[in-house]
Amino acid sequence: MALNFEEVAPGRWRLGKGADRAMTADAEVFASPEILRQAQDDASIDQVVNVACLPGLVGSSLAMPDIHYGYGFCIGGVAAFPADDGIVLPGGVGYDINCGVRLLASSIPAGEFAAAAERIGHAILQRVPTGLTSRGNYRLNKKEFQRVLAGGAREIVRNFAGEAGDLEFIESGGCLPFDSPGAVGPRACERGSGQLGTLGSGNHFIEVQAVEEVYDPDAARLFGLETGRVAVMIHTGSRGFGHQVASDYIETFRKRNLARLQLRDPQLVHAAIASAEGRNYLQALNAASNFAWANRQLLQEEVIKILEEILGLGRAKLGLQLVYDQAHNIAKFETHELGGRAADLLVHRKGATRAFPPGHTGVPEKYRAAGQPVILPGSMGSRSYVLRGTASEASAGAFFTSAHGAGRRLSRHQAVKLAGQGDVRERLGRSGILVFSLSSQGLREEIPEAYKDVDDVVAVTVASGISAKVARLRPLLVVKG
Amino acid sequence: MRNYETFCTTADMGIRIQGRDFRELYEHALRGLNVLLFGANLRTSAGCSAVPFRFHGDGPENVLVNFLAAILSQVYLQKNRVAAVAIDRAGRSFLEARLLVVPWRRPPKVEVKSATYHNLRLVESAGLKRAAVVFDV
Repeated sequence: MALNFEEVAPGRWRLGKGADRAMTADAEVFASPEILRQAQDDASIDQVVNVACLPGLVGSSLAMPDIHYGYGFCIGGVAAFPADDGIVLPGGVGYDINCGVRLLASSIPAGEFAAAAERIGHAILQRVPTGLTSRGNYRLNKKEFQRVLAGGAREIVRNFAGEAGDLEFIESGGCLPFDSPGAVGPRACERGSGQLGTLGSGNHFIEVQAVEEVYDPDAARLFGLETGRVAVMIHTGSRGFGHQVASDYIETFRKRNLARLQLRDPQLVHAAIASAEGRNYLQALNAASNFAWANRQLLQEEVIKILEEILGLGRAKLGLQLVYDQAHNIAKFETHELGGRAADLLVHRKGATRAFPPGHTGVPEKYRAAGQPVILPGSMGSRSYVLRGTASEASAGAFFTSAHGAGRRLSRHQAVKLAGQGDVRERLGRSGILVFSLSSQGLREEIPEAYKDVDDVVAVTVASGISAKVARLRPLLVVKG
Repeated sequence: MRNYETFCTTADMGIRIQGRDFRELYEHALRGLNVLLFGANLRTSAGCSAVPFRFHGDGPENVLVNFLAAILSQVYLQKNRVAAVAIDRAGRSFLEARLLVVPWRRPPKVEVKSATYHNLRLVESAGLKRAAVVFDV
């Protein structure tokens, strides 16, 4: 579909709803001309337009600078609907519910870490279950598992591992309300109960990084990031549990609603938020979100244990502290100002990160002067960034949302072909990055060239005003799922 | 087009399948998914045990997604390969069959998490039924 987007502000492109008679709202993409061209080529723009055709959409159908082709929604897509009479779409969240990123800061000098990096990488690969069919180190009975679904990271801190102080630095305190166990099907529990504390496969990772450059010293100080010190980034989600929740509710929504909906893509099947199936899905979504926060909390604790053992110091001496944990596949109720009035909305973010501005009550008090930390991982061999939420016309129009990563550019087949027979580990090792993985095929699929240039994504994210740069992180050690 | 083939989207993977009737379409769906997961199909179903699969839905897309989900469940939860499908009855909105399964010796090459309905529509032309299913990987 050839569509004429107009650049209405730097890095902000709009397609008026008149462009397609089925559109109920405008479509807007935050992108450079090159990123917009790529999005037109891979048809993800068509997906932004399809979302703009959904009933009751508030504002615009949005896409972030890491936009790429998904199913139903594009990855990097954002859509908001009225909380009272709007709709909810499992396709607007994705299958890996509350896939997200967690960042830890430390006072470990990068130089000192280098001496122990090899041992640390091996220990993480050995002790953190990774890969296709990983089973976790935790055997939970039904009651315990239900408590995790209800309590998320809070339950882990209370009964397993971690510090209560972490909870303030997790989006939503690491727990969304869940009190309807009947909303979660037995197969989801079967798939999920053994997977707590596992990393998974694909683009999930644990990465140890060095803070390479600080752009905003005040914000960096608040976030605990100091040049030359080590940071730890963890990327994973709700594993098979979230996938099964999404699959189950797409089936339910189809049964109840598909026949009467006019959809360009059946993956965009939806239900009224106020309907029984809508309410149940939101409950199950919260349970899966809680699973994911619990999962990342457990992984954090395992990595901290490894660092403590190998470096021979406790977490306080190592200065290990949680900077932030953010979701990038989620739908949440939020209040936003629309036309000078507060509006309660259900904001869907699929491959997109919430980025509340300075002063927002949803930002931890410690960070409130700076804005919410936004963690933007690059590809396996490239830099990652820490940004912060901003108050601007663009960010308000994007429901305070930012990019969630570099965004894929090549398919897995294309990436494997490009990687050839060369050893990805060896190649990255020459750049000073140690890579650990059980799957050499997985590494070839995740070569740096498979992703957009993260610097380009960050440049347009900042230029468009939806986030501001705080720090850049350089990878030292990567453990891939 | 062959009876089954795999393809990639930017972030995910899928299968294209065709068949002269629903029986063939569903058989080819299994074969396509096996190629995606294991790189090939098993030559024999000797020594397999049978797992019943019975689904009545709202159309072939609904049957396909649920059939593929059942195969994925065998692979990842039970650690089985589905070597073949013995179909008792197949139609536009139903499939009654037995999945012939055997424990896998090597794990799948890729973690296929879910079959999606993304742009999934059965097309019928020139005496063939065709569909393309995208998986979340």
